[in-house]
Amino acid sequence: MPTRTLYAATDTPAHPTQLDVAGDLLTLLRDTTTEPRPDNQLEALTLAVAADLPVLLWGEPGIGKTAALTQLAAALDLPLTTVIASVHEPSDFSGLPVVGDDPAEQGVPMAPPDWAVRLVRAGRGLLFLDELSTAPPAVQAALLRLVLERRIGALRLPPGVRIVAAANPRSSAADGWELSPPLANRFVHLQWTHDHEVVVRGLGGTWPRATLPRLDPEKLPGAVDYARRAVCGLLTGRPKLVHQLPSSETRRGGAWPSPRSWEMALSLIAFATAAGSSREVLSLLARGTVGDGPGLELLAAVDRMDLPDPETFLADPSAGELPERGDLRQAVLDGVVAAVRNRPDRARWDAAWALLVRALETGAPDLVVVPATTLASLRRENWDVPESIEQLAGVVALSQRADRAAATVKGGR
Amino acid sequence: MNPDPATDLDLDKLFAARLYAARVRPYLATALFALHTVASRQVPTMAVDRHWRCYVSPGFVDRMPVEDLAGVWVHEVSHLLRDHHGRSDRLARERGLTGPGERLRMNIAADMEINDDAYGEGLVTPEGAVQPKTLGLPAGNLMEDYLRWFRLGPRTQALAWLDCGSGADGLDRGWELGPDGAHGLSEQQRDAVRFRVAQGITGRPGSAPSGWRRWAEEAFHPPQPWRELLGAAVRSAVSAPGAGEDYSYGRPSRRSAGLPGVVLPSLRRRPPRVCVVIDTSGSVSDAELGSALLEVAAISRAVGGRRDLVTVVPCDAAARVAQPLCRAEGIELLGGGGTDLRTGFAKALRTRPDAVVVLTDGQTPWPERRPPCRTVVGLFPRRYETGMYAEDDPDYVPDTPPDWARVVEIGSAPVSR
Repeated sequence: MPTRTLYAATDTPAHPTQLDVAGDLLTLLRDTTTEPRPDNQLEALTLAVAADLPVLLWGEPGIGKTAALTQLAAALDLPLTTVIASVHEPSDFSGLPVVGDDPAEQGVPMAPPDWAVRLVRAGRGLLFLDELSTAPPAVQAALLRLVLERRIGALRLPPGVRIVAAANPRSSAADGWELSPPLANRFVHLQWTHDHEVVVRGLGGTWPRATLPRLDPEKLPGAVDYARRAVCGLLTGRPKLVHQLPSSETRRGGAWPSPRSWEMALSLIAFATAAGSSREVLSLLARGTVGDGPGLELLAAVDRMDLPDPETFLADPSAGELPERGDLRQAVLDGVVAAVRNRPDRARWDAAWALLVRALETGAPDLVVVPATTLASLRRENWDVPESIEQLAGVVALSQRADRAAATVKGGR
Repeated sequence: MNPDPATDLDLDKLFAARLYAARVRPYLATALFALHTVASRQVPTMAVDRHWRCYVSPGFVDRMPVEDLAGVWVHEVSHLLRDHHGRSDRLARERGLTGPGERLRMNIAADMEINDDAYGEGLVTPEGAVQPKTLGLPAGNLMEDYLRWFRLGPRTQALAWLDCGSGADGLDRGWELGPDGAHGLSEQQRDAVRFRVAQGITGRPGSAPSGWRRWAEEAFHPPQPWRELLGAAVRSAVSAPGAGEDYSYGRPSRRSAGLPGVVLPSLRRRPPRVCVVIDTSGSVSDAELGSALLEVAAISRAVGGRRDLVTVVPCDAAARVAQPLCRAEGIELLGGGGTDLRTGFAKALRTRPDAVVVLTDGQTPWPERRPPCRTVVGLFPRRYETGMYAEDDPDYVPDTPPDWARVVEIGSAPVSR
């Protein structure tokens, strides 16, 4: 048989055995290097774990969810306990009944499994519940008690233990388990995907090494204030977003907005701000907490918050930065004109003209047309046209050119 | 601003065209203004990259009248809003399309998706815009469909110069600034702009044409394929407590030997009984029924393992004989008149199923009470035109499926963004 010849012990002891050679080959294969590379999903996971919110990773089998958890545990210096849900019984999570001398008098205590005892004794750790979706429904029910109430049998997990669960999306899950809306609402859902380039490069010998976000102690009060302004600013104007049960079949099992998930979103924004994370990370977190639509609206609200305040421009048109991007710049100019309309006054009107001239000098002229037209219509009888309006002649010409194009089209070319 | 001395690009003309485009398509204004223009002599006409930069050839701007340029602006921004680069990359992966020829085909298909309803109402069709009818294809389809229907050949010869940049087909060009260049939008910023446009359209639905309204509805909630949804619904119905694989006290666990005096449940397998009620009235076509039935049979077999536990009840105005399902092709579907699914339900419940799957077009009365088992309704969508089904009573409106059933619409388009 070929296997016997391959591993047959050779007669000369100086010659290495086949098993040693195989060991050398394995060492060579495992000899890989790492390179730093930003990893948004790992950063989002780190922030959610730091914020002490239960996280649910959705991803196809075999794309590195477990590897990411190992890396995270090493970075946070937490002992990692992996529990594969599908090989356990419900009583492993709800506790095994131990019958004493007199059950009617003392009751039947539920004994926890050894890993839970060790976690509680350590007082801190990262508990990873893998393969949630392949476990039978009764095991899932017992596990969810663990996630939500943090209880295993008679034990209660200390606050230093963070919980992360992983599940396969329902299309690839064998029994199509999905979360009921109340449970889905308690998790931060993160979609775990693989990056084709990273995998190819990793198989070539260079795996990425993510730098994890660090919370900056100086930014903490500002971050809380920022997060509160963002969420409250959005929800004041959109009361319908506060609570929306998922209605259609497509959105079942995912995140949806409720007062509880908005609170989670608020703390995640605060954490992302304190860590100085990018918008991509914030987007992953917000959409995974309150759902896609409300998450995007929240990000739009955050974007609007970052735009300069119209009143600062009206106080001094030459101060402050006008955004470079055309759509943002137009939003700022519209905001300034709206502010003048709300409280018309000669000085503010003049300041707005000065700002329009400045916008024309530094950017595309077509953005200025609509604000200039609106601003001109706000003029009161005794207000003189400012001299700077001469410089806006180009805008008028541009507008007339567009008018001519309209006439051409209407006239059938 | 006068012509840019470095590149001779007539910016005034270009921006006048953008202003005009924003005036006739106000719902696209945000996206149009978000584009950053880059003058480039290497671009044949106008092109966009996936980072929302618009590359413009100075010669092209000189050649085209303002109103035509406005059409090109709308065309290029549509590539980005409709995520043609992302969809092209996905298509290339799924169908294994590699090579520049395939990317050109994708560019042409993407152009056809945009051009078939972009122009008119104030916008003129720019010269050389490829229309589906140029290639003899029906209008109003998606890029994914168009891509199946044509090959590069003599008819597309004139389009070989076509180049809308990586924003249209996902292939990076040499003259593009790439992800690290200045003024690019990050992925999140791109999503935010698309979202704002979609919100603007859904907020004022009157002003946008139906193609854009559909885009706005689906841009951030892509419809999932009905097969997956139906599969998930049937699976969760048949694996709910009481059926499938679960812990039961019916027989003690083998672990109980170590714990005297304690009864532990053991994992038992009870294959689920599934009953499929099929609406065989004239209004559902055989092809629709066949595909849905095959799907249900396959799922039940995967979950339950035993074919004799799946029964099928054809039902029109009266329920027919319940048949055990042995082969999906062996079922006789009798019927053809009106529909009353209540008799079908009564018949189905006599087999004491764990789950009932109903395949219907919804033009039927429903049972008044919730049946004692889980119900999944596979609904074939119908356009409700007046007088289509109401021979005697013009005011008749079919009931919607009841709340206690999980409803999956069958046959809705799986890929459209």
